[in-house]
Amino acid sequence: MTAPTDRQAVTPELEAAAERAASRRGVLIALPSWAYLSLFFAIPLVIVLVYSFATRSSTGLTQLRDWNLDSYARLWDPLVGEIALRSLLLAIATTAICLAVSYPFAYYIATRGPTARNILLVLVMIPFWSNFLVRTYAWRVLLGTDGPLSQLTQALGGEPIRLLFTNTAVLIGLVYGYLPFMVLPLYAALERMDWRLVEAARDLYADGWTAFRKVTWPLSRPGVIAGSILVFIPTLGAYVTPAILGGARTTLLGDYIVSQFLAARNQPFGSALSIAVMSVMLAATILYFRSGARNL
Amino acid sequence: MSISTGVRPKSPTERLLAANSWLVYAFFYAPILVLIVFSFNDNNNVGIWTEPSLRWYRAMVENDDVLRAIRTSLIVAAVSTVISTVLGTMAALALERFRFRGQRVYDGLVYLPIIIPDVTMAVMLLLFFAQSFRILDGLIGWSPNFGIGTISLSHIAFNISFVAVVVRARLGQLDPRLEEAAADLYANQWQTFRRVTLPLILPGVLGGALLALTLSLDDVVVTSFVAGPGSTTLPVYVFGLVRRGVTPLINAVSTAMLVASMILVGISLVFQRGTASSPRVAEAHPPE
Amino acid sequence: MTDAVTLQGVTKQFGDVVAVCDLDLAIADGEFFSLLGPSGCGKTTTLRMIAGFEFPTTGSLKIHGQEMGLEPPNKRPVNTVFQSYALFPHMTVEENVGFGLLMKKLGSADIAERVKRALDMVQLTHRAAATPKQLSGGQQQRVALARALVNEPEVLLLDEPLGALDLKLRQAMQLELKDLQERVGITFIYVTHDQDEALTMSDRIGVMNEGELLQVGVPQEIYEHPTSRFVADFIGEINLLPAVVVDHETVRLLGNHPISASTGAASGNEVTVAIRPERFELYDLDEPIPEGMNRIEGTVSRRIYHGDVFYYDVDTPAGVIEAKEENRPGVELYEVGERTIVVWAPAATSVVQE
Repeated sequence: MTAPTDRQAVTPELEAAAERAASRRGVLIALPSWAYLSLFFAIPLVIVLVYSFATRSSTGLTQLRDWNLDSYARLWDPLVGEIALRSLLLAIATTAICLAVSYPFAYYIATRGPTARNILLVLVMIPFWSNFLVRTYAWRVLLGTDGPLSQLTQALGGEPIRLLFTNTAVLIGLVYGYLPFMVLPLYAALERMDWRLVEAARDLYADGWTAFRKVTWPLSRPGVIAGSILVFIPTLGAYVTPAILGGARTTLLGDYIVSQFLAARNQPFGSALSIAVMSVMLAATILYFRSGARNL
Repeated sequence: MSISTGVRPKSPTERLLAANSWLVYAFFYAPILVLIVFSFNDNNNVGIWTEPSLRWYRAMVENDDVLRAIRTSLIVAAVSTVISTVLGTMAALALERFRFRGQRVYDGLVYLPIIIPDVTMAVMLLLFFAQSFRILDGLIGWSPNFGIGTISLSHIAFNISFVAVVVRARLGQLDPRLEEAAADLYANQWQTFRRVTLPLILPGVLGGALLALTLSLDDVVVTSFVAGPGSTTLPVYVFGLVRRGVTPLINAVSTAMLVASMILVGISLVFQRGTASSPRVAEAHPPE
Repeated sequence: MTDAVTLQGVTKQFGDVVAVCDLDLAIADGEFFSLLGPSGCGKTTTLRMIAGFEFPTTGSLKIHGQEMGLEPPNKRPVNTVFQSYALFPHMTVEENVGFGLLMKKLGSADIAERVKRALDMVQLTHRAAATPKQLSGGQQQRVALARALVNEPEVLLLDEPLGALDLKLRQAMQLELKDLQERVGITFIYVTHDQDEALTMSDRIGVMNEGELLQVGVPQEIYEHPTSRFVADFIGEINLLPAVVVDHETVRLLGNHPISASTGAASGNEVTVAIRPERFELYDLDEPIPEGMNRIEGTVSRRIYHGDVFYYDVDTPAGVIEAKEENRPGVELYEVGERTIVVWAPAATSVVQE
């Protein structure tokens, strides 16, 4: 049965060689996506960074020389501050409203029987997967001065609704657009919760509210944080919603950046703004992962 | 405290929760329904209901710009979905099943596009294409145009990451022992992937593909930066129309887009039901 | 005769952690060999190295004389029955069992024939078209067995395959597995933390702890003559009494109480005396005690009724001794507080070093 063999007993060197061979296969599989993302993501990122230090000529061309920090200095301009503050407040308000509405909503779905739960969930998924632009546009129709909502109030003897092109309209549109992003993580957190823990709390003399505060809420916090990040980040950089529902005097960071490239033709300043917004979002995300790790 | 029996009397909290939920559903669906209803309105004015008609749908299919935009959207969505699904799935495999040097950096590179706001991504890609076209022109005298090519390349760039995240979640749930079992039963690495790993992560791969498809069909911001003259996608075209004002034609196009989304959701639901089997084997032991 | 599996100086490190340390082991052809130990002792890592899921850091691993240490699993003539069975959920029972043969590129008629025979062997022919999810735990376990055995491996590796089953089924499967192994004549290497399982089924047992192989022997040897305190303590119930070696045939327990035992250690050494509870007999103070037996007097401090047996705790100068007496008709019961003499044979006394 024994056949001569050229294979040797394992030594640390041979084992290391085998490990290297395995890791080479991993690198090979990673290679296409790595190359793609390096070319079409990492390099563009570097270009934006480089442009943010460049000079804008009087004709609006970007000159890749005379590197300076002017664009970053302009970030402290009161106009920019006003826009950033408006965007920030809007993002916070959107996140807060989404959370306040979604928590009881997700709680309700998560505490139904399995069949009802699935149906209710599908009814959330449909708007979630529907085209974002179309969903935002629907509010333009609904809120129009001669739109159905306005006609309804007038039929009831009231004033026509004049919400369109205001911050309120943008807020409504953002809440509408991002609500599913809050509902789904909250639902996921509440759905996998062990409800026996709540029963245990009740057994240990907690009333309903205390049990919620001391057990349900802390255990659902990862969902709260995930949902808040998923709503906060895109709303802070929102462009489509304010462009459709907002007015001329309600500029937000998203359209401000866009206008630097399409209208004002100030690429260095637009680049600096992009880098700044991105840094804030990265920081927020890192905070999220930190607090998430503490909670899990 | 009441003892829970078959039918529990509804507590006030319960009633409030239910009321809140129905309001949320109303909020979700009222605008969509209004939009759909008004797309069948015969009147030129969006707000005034006259009588039901398919007039605006006829106008839609007779509008060359709309048709061209639909065609562009479909090509871009198909190309970017296929490529990003393949690359994203490979990225997920590399991250979840292998250890190699530089993996953390690679991990960051895969995740970053998700965190970056649309607008920044759009700016990055615009400057990148403009700059590299200038360089290409200088080097070989070839200056490509913005259009379907740049749109597709951009969509792939943001879709790879989303596919990778979805597939990776599924891979994370897959018991690695199943792959070991395949190897133990003489399957080489390719056969193991082909016959065990891939079929079991397929719901994740298809979920990722569906997400990529949706994101590609949804995107306005990035596309409007990297689109060229005469080659926009449907959302960008509609976005342009909307900025100029509300028309019944947009209602019809929007309704068509909604229906397309819902068909996609329907397909995904049917599919999920079909492959709902859990990748973990030993969990369920129904009686003999 | 060639050994089925030989390990020489096998060490496995994960980073700084040594999972298996300098293991030497030879498993004979056709043997039912169990690796027994607590979780984290290195038994599963050893099995996974034989299967090829882990590569040793150093050492020689041979299967039927062929060096195999760095071969991938698909190139090894061994098959594994996994702890959680690892049945492919997207395939039917039949497809699961036929997977290995398909990978070996056998003809479909041949595969069908051999799958059928394998399913016959585990009495699951009627569930051939079912998916794993539709099977009970016991049935899944048998499919996993069939899926491995259908390939006629030179060695079958089993990683706690009965762990997920309930007690009754587990006991039935133990006998069935042993029976099956004798029928097919394949070498079985069986990893378990359950000493009953190991004792019931194995030809030989290797006891592992903290990455080291402490003792290898037939079940009786392991049970009756443990060579270390760990093996004595891990397998079955045992009394461990501190003692000092007097000479080759005598040790002294606490309370200066000499007893006879084969010591095998230098005099003056501190050792542990290990005696199984069922080896003790309780005598009245005035009863005649057979010649040559060890004895120690004490007071009954506790009696526990356990159905088939009674457990007694007896306070003696050497420490508390737990004795087990069969519940025979007419057995004489001792009450708590009663004086008694605990008696046992010198041969039932194991002397172990730390």
